[in-house]
Amino acid sequence: MMSILILDEVSKVYEGKVAHLAVNQLSFEVEKGEFLAIMGPSGSGKTTLLNMISTIDTPTSGELFIDGTNPINLTKNDLALFRRRHLGFVFQDFNLLPALTVEENMILPLTLDGQPVETMKRKVAILAEQLDLTPILDKRPAEISGGQAQRTAIGRALIHEPSIILADEPTGNLDSKAARDVLELLTEVNKRRQTTIIMVTHDAIAASYCDRVLFIKDGQYFNEIYKDDRRQTFFQRILNLLSLLGGNVNDLSTIRLS
Amino acid sequence: MTFRQFAYHNVIRNSRVYAAFFMASIFSVVVFFIYSMLMFHPNIEDQFLRNIAFSGMLIAEIILIIFTLFFLFYSMSAFLQARSKEFGILLNLGMEKYQLNRLVFLETMILGFISITVGIFFGFSFSKYFFMIIQELFLLDSLPLYLSWKPFALTIFVFLSLFITISISGVVFIRKKEITQLLKGYWKSDGDVGYKRWKAIMGLAMLFMAYSLVIFSVFHMQIWVAVIIILLALVGTYLFFTDSILYILQQIRKRKQFYWHPFRLVAFAEASIKIRENSRMFFVVTIVSTIAFLSVGVVTSFSTFTAQYRATHPVSLFYSSDWDNPFEENHLMQLTNQLQQENLSYDLVRFRLKKQTSSNTREVVNIIRESDVNSLAISLKYPIITLNEGEAFILGSAQYKDENQSKEQFVLEESSVPIYIKGNYNYPIFPAFAMDTPIIILNDLDYLLVTEPLAGFGIEESNATFYTFHVSEWLRTKDIGAELDNIIVHSVGTSNVNPNPFYFENPGLNYSIIRATFSLLLFTGLLVAAVLLLAAGSFVYFKLYTDLEKDKKLYDVLRRMGVTEPELVKLVNRQLIPQFFLPWGLAMVHSTFSFFFLQAFWVDLAAISIAMEMLLVLIAFTIIQVSYFYLIRWRYIAHIRAS
Repeated sequence: MMSILILDEVSKVYEGKVAHLAVNQLSFEVEKGEFLAIMGPSGSGKTTLLNMISTIDTPTSGELFIDGTNPINLTKNDLALFRRRHLGFVFQDFNLLPALTVEENMILPLTLDGQPVETMKRKVAILAEQLDLTPILDKRPAEISGGQAQRTAIGRALIHEPSIILADEPTGNLDSKAARDVLELLTEVNKRRQTTIIMVTHDAIAASYCDRVLFIKDGQYFNEIYKDDRRQTFFQRILNLLSLLGGNVNDLSTIRLS
Repeated sequence: MTFRQFAYHNVIRNSRVYAAFFMASIFSVVVFFIYSMLMFHPNIEDQFLRNIAFSGMLIAEIILIIFTLFFLFYSMSAFLQARSKEFGILLNLGMEKYQLNRLVFLETMILGFISITVGIFFGFSFSKYFFMIIQELFLLDSLPLYLSWKPFALTIFVFLSLFITISISGVVFIRKKEITQLLKGYWKSDGDVGYKRWKAIMGLAMLFMAYSLVIFSVFHMQIWVAVIIILLALVGTYLFFTDSILYILQQIRKRKQFYWHPFRLVAFAEASIKIRENSRMFFVVTIVSTIAFLSVGVVTSFSTFTAQYRATHPVSLFYSSDWDNPFEENHLMQLTNQLQQENLSYDLVRFRLKKQTSSNTREVVNIIRESDVNSLAISLKYPIITLNEGEAFILGSAQYKDENQSKEQFVLEESSVPIYIKGNYNYPIFPAFAMDTPIIILNDLDYLLVTEPLAGFGIEESNATFYTFHVSEWLRTKDIGAELDNIIVHSVGTSNVNPNPFYFENPGLNYSIIRATFSLLLFTGLLVAAVLLLAAGSFVYFKLYTDLEKDKKLYDVLRRMGVTEPELVKLVNRQLIPQFFLPWGLAMVHSTFSFFFLQAFWVDLAAISIAMEMLLVLIAFTIIQVSYFYLIRWRYIAHIRAS
């Protein structure tokens, strides 16, 4: 197995009146086809970490390789093109464009890349079938449920067959039923397409769907655990580690106030 | 922090949001104040001028007030919408409704107070320049800056009432909303671009009909059609923005081959949302711009009229005297003295007219001398004429052939001088009034041969004299012969009969009145148009600003998804261009067709082509609009990048 993402002693300092060390000498690798969850209390540097992997933020020190490329060596323009072709994003509040239909939202990454319309039509048809979105392709985001919206967002993240999907609290705005659907879908995508998924989450249930959970605290590596045969026991182990993490119960809430 | 300080800080710290609003309202105060300064100016003694100044300024002020009220009302409600989340928080924290009302009222009054103060300050500073321009237009001796309470009182009173009205309506706006509604934020869009198909088609049909009627009118002018055209265009424009344009965009969106394109996808979809949200504003902006284009266009076309006036009245002063005029010497003395007093140099040419009967038409003709005509022609820079013995020119465009005999050759009966008409000397060296009787130009020798009096009259009685003064600074002759002009104006009036034994015309005076009136109209129209355009622009800017949070998020998502910076600019362009140029473009088309109509209408009145003026006006407005677009885009992109 080869590593698709390598972080080597990555640190991020936010300069300002009070310098703030958001990520501190963090190193880890992600295998191709792995489904990784990153957990940690609020302010532990998860978002900064995700932004660096998203290449929209650069590390202050240390090195980062995505699919063998160090984003720091790319120009701003190439970085954008790199994101466009190699990364897919799923957000907590879906971030679908309200003006576009479900279908149009899904093909957006392909249009940005100027792909032929025939290719787009073919891909969107296949993907919509898999994601069970075919009946609502012509609806707008305001007319569909949260679960459908997140499935659309996953479709948008998948359509250009990226190397890594970055998911930021994908279940944060969903009810438990919709959240389970989305997580099962992500697992299925991960298994069937061998797509690497990195998911930042607060939710132990969401994390229990992953192959591995990485815990960070105050921007530093804290611990990691691998899944076992039963999701139930994995979930229990995640909870144990979270309590070890020293956060209090409120931090573990599935609802994040924004 | 007292309550008042809170309100004050809200305004001052949000000054960036308020910038465009401030600019538009301050500018409107400035223009209003300057107009009222002219309205109340004590030095305009001339009754006529006073009337123009007063009524022109009054109309301009009323338009300005109506529009400012509308603008303030619109921006204020948009402001409150944008800040509804903030109000929701305040209410949630336990602010009472009456306190919130007071807050809104105070904030609006602070805004108003600052706008009025700054506006009057700039207005007063610039009124001297304004007076200088007016002085130049009216050729007044002096129009000094003066200090009087009247313009101040008027401006303060008008704008204070405006702002009070606005703040009260703002309070009413919030009262209707629930806290949860406010907290959610008013401006969240659900991306709905609903439209009614029949309305969409009707809108297009109405515009099409309006334009067709215009083209029809070019051939068959009927003034009542104008009313129908205006109604059709108004309703059509409204429907165009609320439905038709969305319908068209929807049709485009169905064509995936075209629509699924790197920029079009996002740009078209976003544009349809923006149009949906702002359709009423676009409608107003379109109508306002059309009116602005038109008023400036019409007024500029009046200046074409004055230019033509000047060409048809080249002689600066004209005095004609019948044989029995007892005042001749006196009047001439008066004129030359006045010219000297004003330090105006002049060329005086005196024409001795001899009356004869033409053998051809049996009518009386007036005979003048070639050398006199030439000496006037030299001063006026007209071509000089050369006549051999027996040859003659007819002055003006009169037909010299008799219908039956079609002879170009005839005899001046009394003196038996045979002449041959060589052609017309078609230059307006005399005013139309003096040309009632055909005037024939003879060679000097032939002229001397005309010695016999007109049949039935004495030798004295068959003579008359024309005096033409050519003054190169003819615009300054408006005070010369004012008394004579008065006599003629009062005794002749609109009839064509002159009971006096003399006639006087001063085109410089008439010209200066026409020119001044229209220049003033033009100037006023331009200023009003500028205010309107600025306000329209600040609407757009303001809407962009309130949508900024939403747009920032959109661009953030797109940036993550891998949109490069140049692509982002392209996207912004494609999104902004319709917002700026759609209302403007439709206004352009409207005005172009209106110009066609006016042109058709005007041709009936006078043979003046106003196409050139219209083109200039349209080009000028285009330049303004394009620069405004770049200015706003620059700010917008800066804001989006900042996220």
